[in-house]
Amino acid sequence: MSSPVNRGVMSNTEWRTRGGRLVGLFYLLILILVSICVLFPYLFSFTAGLKTSSEIYKGGIHLFPEEWNWGNYVEAWNRFDMVKMFLNSIIAAGGGVLGQVIVSTLAAYSISRLKPVGTRVIVTLIFVTLGVPVMAYLIPRYIIMTDLPLIHVSLVNNFLGLWLPYSCSPFMILVLINSFDAIPKEIFEAAQLDGASDLGMFLKIALPLSRSIIYTLGFMALVTLWGDFLWPYLILRSPELQPVSVRLYTLTRLAPRNLFLAASFIAMVPPTIAACFIVRKIKGGLTL
Amino acid sequence: MRTNIRKKINWKRQGVAYLFLLPFFIVFTIACWYPMCKTIVYSFQRVNIMGFQEWAGLNNYLRMLKNPLFCTAWKNVLVFVLLSLILGALVPIILAIIINEMRRLTSLFQTIVYLPALIPVSVGLIVWRQIYAPNEGILNSLLKLVGIPPQLWLQDPTLVKPAIIIVMTWFGAGGTTLIYLSALREIPLELYEAAELDGFSVFKRIRHITLPYISSRIKILVVMQIIFVSQVFTEPFILTGGGPGNATRTPAIVIYETAFSMNDFGLAAAWSVSILVILGVFSFLYVWWSQKEQQGEF
Repeated sequence: MSSPVNRGVMSNTEWRTRGGRLVGLFYLLILILVSICVLFPYLFSFTAGLKTSSEIYKGGIHLFPEEWNWGNYVEAWNRFDMVKMFLNSIIAAGGGVLGQVIVSTLAAYSISRLKPVGTRVIVTLIFVTLGVPVMAYLIPRYIIMTDLPLIHVSLVNNFLGLWLPYSCSPFMILVLINSFDAIPKEIFEAAQLDGASDLGMFLKIALPLSRSIIYTLGFMALVTLWGDFLWPYLILRSPELQPVSVRLYTLTRLAPRNLFLAASFIAMVPPTIAACFIVRKIKGGLTL
Repeated sequence: MRTNIRKKINWKRQGVAYLFLLPFFIVFTIACWYPMCKTIVYSFQRVNIMGFQEWAGLNNYLRMLKNPLFCTAWKNVLVFVLLSLILGALVPIILAIIINEMRRLTSLFQTIVYLPALIPVSVGLIVWRQIYAPNEGILNSLLKLVGIPPQLWLQDPTLVKPAIIIVMTWFGAGGTTLIYLSALREIPLELYEAAELDGFSVFKRIRHITLPYISSRIKILVVMQIIFVSQVFTEPFILTGGGPGNATRTPAIVIYETAFSMNDFGLAAAWSVSILVILGVFSFLYVWWSQKEQQGEF
């Protein structure tokens, strides 16, 4: 048979037998159950956000509100200045991803292509950084950010205080080194004969040929940084600067329950929309 | 010999190479390497927000080890890790195998499972705290339908750890499932075909083909999970604040409190070093295995 094999653990014929149908039904049941568990907090926060302030404190199963108070969503949006919140998240995470990609691609290109003296030491340092848990040096890092060595500037309440550590991703550098190593040497040699500089080859060969892996890594970094809590909680003390992840948490102490649940649901919407577009794209590409 | 090697070094090219590495050296030094060294130094000093006070020798370490909280916090982490291995590690493997087996709706379920991984942890926790609300909370009300009496999910010392691990699984399972899925798709389907012809049952095929094939991924992801769960901060910080009592006080929370509530950076640094030492073995395994995996991958 020349046609490619199209099957899973079970073959298509097996699926159609009675036993196979039963297994399939069992699988479907599990997936539906899991989906309900996964989606329940979304539904809960959505409907709780619609309730009046008296209904929200009522116990029992009132999953659906007596009256649908869409006004709560408008109030949460305006009162908590959620535009600002999202903008801060975009600045914090977006800048972090940009920094991470720039630092990592440059370093990986140098290590992969230019073979600097001491490559071994540098790679070992990257692995050490990968292995040391962040929690083990978080406090000194915070103290350093409050008073940068040599220039004595405090980065508290400054997005730079976020971008600087966000730019460090030993993982991204290691993956990119592998990716750049995989580009055939002949391409670079041909470009070199045409008189291309290293910067030119970096921008016109290495980056475009590793585009898809850079997008995947960038997306993964964006998700991580968008949801980061402790570091922005320490660095961004002023409410006008705080991203969604921090500001919503501080608001739970001050705001009524139905409003902060409405705000939480709003905060869940953009990532959910992103998921629908992105999952298919990274289907094959999500590795370690 | 030596001069030979020296001659080969093209200094102009080396300059370019280090120019490319410059941003890397700057950010890693300020945000990683310098703080790492500082942790070690601080752990032998008396330091607070005003800065260095005096050298303390081993005093910080002695204070940390004499405090019963040291054992409590690390025991908490041990329980968290064990629970997460029981509850959390299996879920993504099972989900990935099932989703991969479905002929239809694959991307729908894949997307649904992945959703919680994308929202900020703190936002999800705000919602979960309400779901876990005592007395007439939604979870208790739902369980009442099945005849289970209301529980104090976040206030009962025995329930609070599983409750937190369930939330962490809710967040983390989707991303891990996607990683397993991409591994499952690399398995040559001829293997299943041959096994089927030899009369292997579905269960046996999964045991003898699927699992061995993804075992290297499982190893790495389990080690990553151990490292990740051991440093857990946000979940207990937002859900319980370390309570009830010290039931969810992890070393990460102790470090935060010691530094920012007690203003004792030296003691916090000693705790940080304890994380470094205790997680060292797992970190080493993670780095070693993932290096091997990547060399095979690309």
